[in-house]
Amino acid sequence: MNAPMSTHIDTQIDTPMIEIKDLYKNFGDVTVLNGVSLSVSSGEVVVIIGSSGSGKSTMLRCITRLEEISGGSIKVDGHHVHDAKSDINYIRTEAGMVFQNFNLFPHLSVLENVTLGPIKVRKTEKSEAIALGLKLLEKVGLREKAYNYPSQLSGGQKQRVAIARALALNPKVILFDEPTSALDPELVGEVLSVMRQLAEEGMTMVVVTHEMAFARYVADRVIFLEKGCIAEEGNAEEFFNSPKHPRLKEFLGQVQAL
Amino acid sequence: MGFDFDPSVMLSTLPLLMDGMFLTIFITIIGLITGFILGVSSGFAKLSRRAPLRLISDAYVGVIRGTPLIVQVMFLYFGLPMLTGARISPVTAGIIAIAVNSGAYISEIVRGAVQSIDKGQMEAGRSIGLTNVQTMCFVIWPQAFRRMIPSLGNQFIISLKDTSLLVVIGVAELTRQGQEIIATTFRAFEIWLTVGLIYLAMTMVLSRILRIIEKKLTDQGSV
Repeated sequence: MNAPMSTHIDTQIDTPMIEIKDLYKNFGDVTVLNGVSLSVSSGEVVVIIGSSGSGKSTMLRCITRLEEISGGSIKVDGHHVHDAKSDINYIRTEAGMVFQNFNLFPHLSVLENVTLGPIKVRKTEKSEAIALGLKLLEKVGLREKAYNYPSQLSGGQKQRVAIARALALNPKVILFDEPTSALDPELVGEVLSVMRQLAEEGMTMVVVTHEMAFARYVADRVIFLEKGCIAEEGNAEEFFNSPKHPRLKEFLGQVQAL
Repeated sequence: MGFDFDPSVMLSTLPLLMDGMFLTIFITIIGLITGFILGVSSGFAKLSRRAPLRLISDAYVGVIRGTPLIVQVMFLYFGLPMLTGARISPVTAGIIAIAVNSGAYISEIVRGAVQSIDKGQMEAGRSIGLTNVQTMCFVIWPQAFRRMIPSLGNQFIISLKDTSLLVVIGVAELTRQGQEIIATTFRAFEIWLTVGLIYLAMTMVLSRILRIIEKKLTDQGSV
């Protein structure tokens, strides 16, 4: 439980950090995920791209059980996420989530946003949690905003606080659900650079994004999701330089035309 | 026949009216505290996943909102003892009536405020490992409570004034005291004027208190 902060030690190379097998998800009659299998190793950065409605966000939300699944299985660090016997609250501390709309707690200060998890979930001493919180805010470059409220921050700052909040539980993997899509263009860079730093430190990350440059330069592996299936996957270089699937070629063409 | 205004009656009857005022305040405070507890329970019952709880809450709110308070008061004080055989004091009946009545309205206020909090807040709370109940206590409720304050304040003021209906079961609250003084002095103008001013003073103090609380809560972070 008390693994050293923000380091990444995982000796079990064989067990993937995330293992998705044959995942199905329906919303009523609509099938959003149609048999997705994906395995993410410890320390890997996987970027998921795809047009809207392709099931990217849904897949991410299934990994921490913000959505129930219709079929298949998901394991995080060996724990079955959708098993009634699993402690979902524990699994969620292992797999942090960063949302498109930040979802910071507006009634709490920046520091309290970060320390709430450690204090209530990890039962960390308050003084210890504050020290941890300040350290994490320092890491995302917002130490001086610790006692401000979220409403006083820019979008980019909010998202960096949200990343610090996720890091505060010392997760083994962080899921990013379009972390920069709600930001003004000039604020995207500061968030991506924090994410890049995390990737360099060896954090396991699954990122749903439209930032192709991030995918190209930070991802170990890129996945193209199309109509609820993985249409193509590969390392960033071959993925972008020689896409095979016709829809992916079309998609990359559209994105790069922007 | 000319009417001569006699302000000295207002002063000389003030102690008696003050007695009534204190009883009004007492009934309001106890009634609203109980009503708040009832209302929060009923509001959460209505948000519950369990159908029977929702049904009970719906029935409660429906019946209370759909009938006049004065009928509820008389039913409670005159009607119910015929069934149960146990008489309750007018003040107890008054407190119960105010509690049950305000509870139904507070129930809707609570439900609406909790539902108005963005779904992402619950998701963010759960995603850092908080349980459903913890997220409710530390994330949703504090935000919902702030949004409730204006409507709660409104309900508190309504309930305070509603205590005047307890006159029909002989509770010696402010309105009843006024009535009795008039029965012996016949100074209707002066007494009702004084009674009205006392109600006005009470509601003004109450809204001032609520505004201070509201300001205090919104100063730290906005919702």
